[in-house]
Amino acid sequence: MSGHERHDERALPGGEEEPMTAAPLAAADRWLMRACLYVPLAALLLFFALPMGFIAWRSLMQDDGGIGFANYLALLDTPGVWQATRNSLGLGVATTAITLLLAFVLAYGMERTCMRGRRFVAAALTLPLLAPSLVLGLGLIFILGRNGIVGQLLGIRPDIYGFHGLLIADVLYALPQAVLILRAALRCADARQYEAAEVLGATPWRQFRDITLPGMRYGLLSAGFVVFTVTITDFGNAVVIGGDFSVLATEIYNQVSGQMRFGIGAVVGLLLLLPAALSVWIERVAAQRQAGIGAESAQPPQPRIARGRDGLYAIACLGIASAICAVVATVVIAGFIRLWPYRLDLTLKHYDITVSGGYASLWASLAVSLIAATAGTLLLFLLAFSVRRLSGWPARAATLLATLPVGVPGLVLGLAYVFAFNEPALPWGALYGSLFLLAMCNFYHYHTQGYVSMATGLRAVPAQLEEAVAVLGGGVGRLLADVHLPALRITLWAVAAFLFMRSMVTLSAVIFLVTPELSLSAVTVMRLDEAGFTSQAAAFSTCIMAVVGAVALLLHRLTSRCRVP
Amino acid sequence: MSLEIRNLHKSFAGQVALERIDLALDGAEFVCLLGPSGCGKTTLLRIIAGLLAADRGSIRLNGRDLAAVPTRERGFGIVFQSYSLFPHMTVAQNVGYGLAIRGVAPARIAERVAGLLATVKLADFGERYPGQLSGGQQQRVAIARALAVDPALLLLDEPLSALDARVRAELRGELREVQRKLGIPTLMVTHDQDEAMVLADRVVCMNRGRIEQSGTPQELYEQPRTRFVAEFMGHSNLLTPDWLQQAAPSLLAGMPADLRAAGAACVRPERIALTPDAAGDGRVVEVAFMGNFKRVRLEWRGRELLAEVSSALALQPGDPVSVDIAAQDCAWVMA
Repeated sequence: MSGHERHDERALPGGEEEPMTAAPLAAADRWLMRACLYVPLAALLLFFALPMGFIAWRSLMQDDGGIGFANYLALLDTPGVWQATRNSLGLGVATTAITLLLAFVLAYGMERTCMRGRRFVAAALTLPLLAPSLVLGLGLIFILGRNGIVGQLLGIRPDIYGFHGLLIADVLYALPQAVLILRAALRCADARQYEAAEVLGATPWRQFRDITLPGMRYGLLSAGFVVFTVTITDFGNAVVIGGDFSVLATEIYNQVSGQMRFGIGAVVGLLLLLPAALSVWIERVAAQRQAGIGAESAQPPQPRIARGRDGLYAIACLGIASAICAVVATVVIAGFIRLWPYRLDLTLKHYDITVSGGYASLWASLAVSLIAATAGTLLLFLLAFSVRRLSGWPARAATLLATLPVGVPGLVLGLAYVFAFNEPALPWGALYGSLFLLAMCNFYHYHTQGYVSMATGLRAVPAQLEEAVAVLGGGVGRLLADVHLPALRITLWAVAAFLFMRSMVTLSAVIFLVTPELSLSAVTVMRLDEAGFTSQAAAFSTCIMAVVGAVALLLHRLTSRCRVP
Repeated sequence: MSLEIRNLHKSFAGQVALERIDLALDGAEFVCLLGPSGCGKTTLLRIIAGLLAADRGSIRLNGRDLAAVPTRERGFGIVFQSYSLFPHMTVAQNVGYGLAIRGVAPARIAERVAGLLATVKLADFGERYPGQLSGGQQQRVAIARALAVDPALLLLDEPLSALDARVRAELRGELREVQRKLGIPTLMVTHDQDEAMVLADRVVCMNRGRIEQSGTPQELYEQPRTRFVAEFMGHSNLLTPDWLQQAAPSLLAGMPADLRAAGAACVRPERIALTPDAAGDGRVVEVAFMGNFKRVRLEWRGRELLAEVSSALALQPGDPVSVDIAAQDCAWVMA
């Protein structure tokens, strides 16, 4: 009953694409298989494809009620958008250049040197992922802002708001993701290439130039595009520390929430799809090329001790890691300080939050994250399980659909949800303003990453095992219970934790969807900061980080404990 | 039990994988599907198991058409090359899995599992996990698991190929013993002709999606009908009628009348008798010492021959030898 993808593949050179004549299935199994495929596919269409269709449609809906390109033309007469585009591009290029440089130093230091403190650096790099992006901006303000600790100590009033503050915050935010990609690229090198070069008499510099750099070019390209996309679509930092420096993310928010110009908002949203889509495409090509480079039996190079080099890398890496820690730690500390930075005695009063809805949004976030994690993990598991059983064009189409969401920035997805679901007349309009819709929005925002993890996990399940179950008399239920669930236990927990953590901290996708009655924690931090309650914002951020950090620790314990069955 | 396959066809994206397959399996026969990589033998096994559907043709089990019967209802047992045990279940749970699916009482399962584990010489291993076993032991567990359900047919997909030589030889013997003892009809896929010859009652030699020849191992070795079978089942000298006409006309005596131009006489290397002889018209080109025998390349009457002689025979490259081939040792192969 499984078995499509593996016939005697040696029989047919390049025969992976053949349309399979499926083996017969028992009737109950056939229905179960259909449900496994169609339920997650239907959800994907309703909560992703449908909203994206709506935003495209809205961009064509003119103010006079007609259909046409008036909104696109109106863009030309909206000077604010052009200024924001220029700012976004400039900021994106600058952030990308600096982030790549720093990320290369960090990745190389961690993978190819014997420097001390690698674990500390790795831990520090996870910090920005545990908090809403705007926490970094918040921390920078506490350190370098008008009422920052540096200004207080030096007796000056520095101005961090605007380009420079945003640049630093975005670099810190994008750094962990870039390091992750570059480390992976460094790891898939083959030690034997270096050994061969060594035997042939190549100097370390030549080896770096001739082996390391060429091996990393796709990693660098891919990291560059990811950083660029993250930067120009990030909303949190732009709001907190951007000041008067308008970027596309804030511009789209102003057009829609401030001026109610939905058509323009839809157009700018579609504009934001371009760099993201390009970056996703580049990453795909890079992944394919990279896969071609690394031989199956490649041995990752083992660094040797070189005191001078190790020391230099240690200083640089620990410096960067400390900066990240300092920014995040400042937020945590500032939440306990009576009046930062003037009266430094400790207090818990900022945790008594009554403005902006108090802690209600934290509980709402918890609920939304739990729904996103459970429903999301289940849907992803079923989808990956059934797509593995497809072949030919249906498999390719389903995979493409499942991996499209990564190309849609949160802000655009959120806006698309407003267009699709804030329509009481439509059957699905009732979902608007519900915890469930927020959960689905967060889930589909991070659908692709979850799907890729799930598909990778499934690839480790031997096809022979599935076939053995079928021959021994087991149906689809047995297959799921005895083969896939045990094999994917860790993957399932990891995907659930990932969805939970992202859902707890994301701001851009949900900013359009929150209502006065139902807000989420990252939005509350933003509102507190906007209203001038920075210490309360810090306290609230600390609560979020505590929850997310606890889940991250739990996952770490779980995965390190049950590595082997 | 009787399995009957008629006129089976299968192609993948226009590429023919199986063509005009007719095969019958009776009683407690051990049949080997033998052939090189890509000959379609695994595809055939998977179609019989129900893991793949055929394009045309029929498969009948005791007269019942299997086309619409899902794999899980066929009641077969299967053993793969590797990686087919449940890693999170103990050896005993693995072996009892098929019985648990069939709703057999736990006490009855435990009894049956203990018996089977004793049969495959793993009596004390029931509580271990597959990860704690060697490759050979894992395959024994897989065999026990397949046998537990009293399969109508046991399917083996290169079950010994992933093991190292010594374990393979050992398990080969045990597999044959267990199969004889339990009398379960068995179909095994292999690309190893030694394995096929030792294990099989009948060998089905396949090439390019077709059955070339089917028969006992001895028949296939001594009377190959095609050039492919002659070359696949061990070493051979293929002597064309044209050359024989010139060099050894006496050997043409047994040639069938309908032999086509591409046909040839197949002579196995050990059937060529060599005698060191200063007046002999053969000349040794190369000698490879194989332990229990010597493999000798020699020039004889304008062509090269391969012979196998006792390693006691002293031969050096360049030595003159006399060559003797008996007419009854020529098997006539078609193209």
